[in-house]
Amino acid sequence: MRLVSPLARGARLRPLSSGPAAPPHAAGVRRFLVAAVAFVAVLAVASPAWAHAQLVAATPSQDATLTASPATVELTFSEDLNPEFVTVALSNATRQRLPTSTPSVAGPTATVTPGGPLVDGVYTVAYRVVSADGHTVQGSYDFTVGTPAQPVAAARASTPSGLPWFVLAGLGVLGLALAGAAAYFYAFGRRKRP
Amino acid sequence: MTSRRHLLTGAAAAGLGAAAGGGLVAAARSDTPTSVAAVESLTTGTSTVPFYGPRQAGVAEDPPAHAAFVAFTLPAGTDRRALGRMMRLLSDDAGRLTQGVPALGDTDATLAPLPSRLTVTFGFGTGLYRAAGLESPVADLPKFKIDRLEQRWSGGDLLLQICADDPLTVAHTQRMLIKDARPFAAVRWVQQGFRRSPGVQAPEHTQRNVMGQLDGTANPRGAEIDPAVWNDDGSTTLVVRRMRAEIEKWDILSVADKENAVGRRLDSGAPLSGTQEHDEPDFTKLDASGLPAMPDFSHVTRARVTDPSLKLLRRPYNYDGVPNAAGQPDSGLIFASYQKDVARQFIPIQQRLADKDVLNEWITPIGSAVFAIPPGCTDAGWIGDQVLG
Repeated sequence: MRLVSPLARGARLRPLSSGPAAPPHAAGVRRFLVAAVAFVAVLAVASPAWAHAQLVAATPSQDATLTASPATVELTFSEDLNPEFVTVALSNATRQRLPTSTPSVAGPTATVTPGGPLVDGVYTVAYRVVSADGHTVQGSYDFTVGTPAQPVAAARASTPSGLPWFVLAGLGVLGLALAGAAAYFYAFGRRKRP
Repeated sequence: MTSRRHLLTGAAAAGLGAAAGGGLVAAARSDTPTSVAAVESLTTGTSTVPFYGPRQAGVAEDPPAHAAFVAFTLPAGTDRRALGRMMRLLSDDAGRLTQGVPALGDTDATLAPLPSRLTVTFGFGTGLYRAAGLESPVADLPKFKIDRLEQRWSGGDLLLQICADDPLTVAHTQRMLIKDARPFAAVRWVQQGFRRSPGVQAPEHTQRNVMGQLDGTANPRGAEIDPAVWNDDGSTTLVVRRMRAEIEKWDILSVADKENAVGRRLDSGAPLSGTQEHDEPDFTKLDASGLPAMPDFSHVTRARVTDPSLKLLRRPYNYDGVPNAAGQPDSGLIFASYQKDVARQFIPIQQRLADKDVLNEWITPIGSAVFAIPPGCTDAGWIGDQVLG
């Protein structure tokens, strides 16, 4: 529905803009408006790709180096979580899962308590939650307790079924290019007609 | 006309050439190049499953391709003697039809000779035991929060599970047996379903449901069936649940989302912790990112039982009704499971799935019924004679 109304309005504008009474610069403004509406419409279509739950804050934070074992691990997402479908797994540098409490969920935040104090080392927090639309969102990041014995690995975050960020970015650029092309052809294409 | 004649001549010549070629191939393959050997595999239609025996047929056999589940409601005032008369008639005709013999008074006797592994399995609901003045060995299921049950697919005093590898055989059998039961009981609901056709896959192959999932990988097989399914007296129990697939929502998911929901790879059926369909799921294994390879809330994780005596023998059939005017499908699964004890085996699994199973987002139970499956009978008896006789 977001798409239909601006285009429909554009379709109504078009015969007006070519009417003899319309001053030339007013027609240009309308063309610009129509192009802008088309541009927004393209973005609106792309927006569902960002509607899934996303990790927006974490304690300990990604790549943090703590002087002491954290009391809890707290993850906050961009939308309220379904408490039935929340996994938070804490593992050590040798990929051994460590005991934690089951996640306690309050709104968009999930919290687990490690089963015991974490000795110095690198730890991985991995999460898997289900968005309101049923899409699984998962990812992981590392933090360090004490002096890091080895360089901290880069964070890995992915939406397993979604697309990597660079593909999404590429699609966004493509969408902008399409919108620009549409605007160009709308504004200048008609002049070529006899 | 000339062109058609040329065409015919050409076709005949081509046919002769092909026949000659085939003959040559046959001659090259065998010393006795008599005829094409394809006909000898035409046994699907004439195959039979014995009806009489200590256990009813239609439970442990590899499921035929087509099924009709027919549930009846007994009128008030039905007594044990009437039930006996009804079961005598039904057992007698089921015994005939399963062996390719027309029912008594069969109005279309020509449809009987191709039984195609026909089985007729009788189930008794709680209402039948009540009518007979007997204590029921089964109870209705508790309500689950995922249930959206509709009357038209639920309950029933008597069930006929009619299975065969041919839909015309199922239709004929359904018609003949409903005729037998009509003086005694009203049809409550009929659910018709299908699996892959015979010969499409090897018999033991796990089948796919309409959502594309391999369904039945964890079923007990061979010697595992007895301890999970049969009581000492040859009886068992059946749960029938109609699961509507929310296919339009399912369609939106990516393959990875579907696999996370099920806990298995869609193509191979392997658990996400393994590589082969029959690998045991490893719920402790972490993937490269530190997450459990088997999602905590996947269907397999929630449904898993390891004690062989707690397993269910699932015998599901797909259904695919008529799409609505908007083209949305009416599809799903006629879930049918056999187990010794509903309360001990079925309910705990169903409760775990109802509590937490992300697959619930895409399947909705809209029908539910429970039946006791009485022991089989001899050719001098009738199904239920040990219970009602």
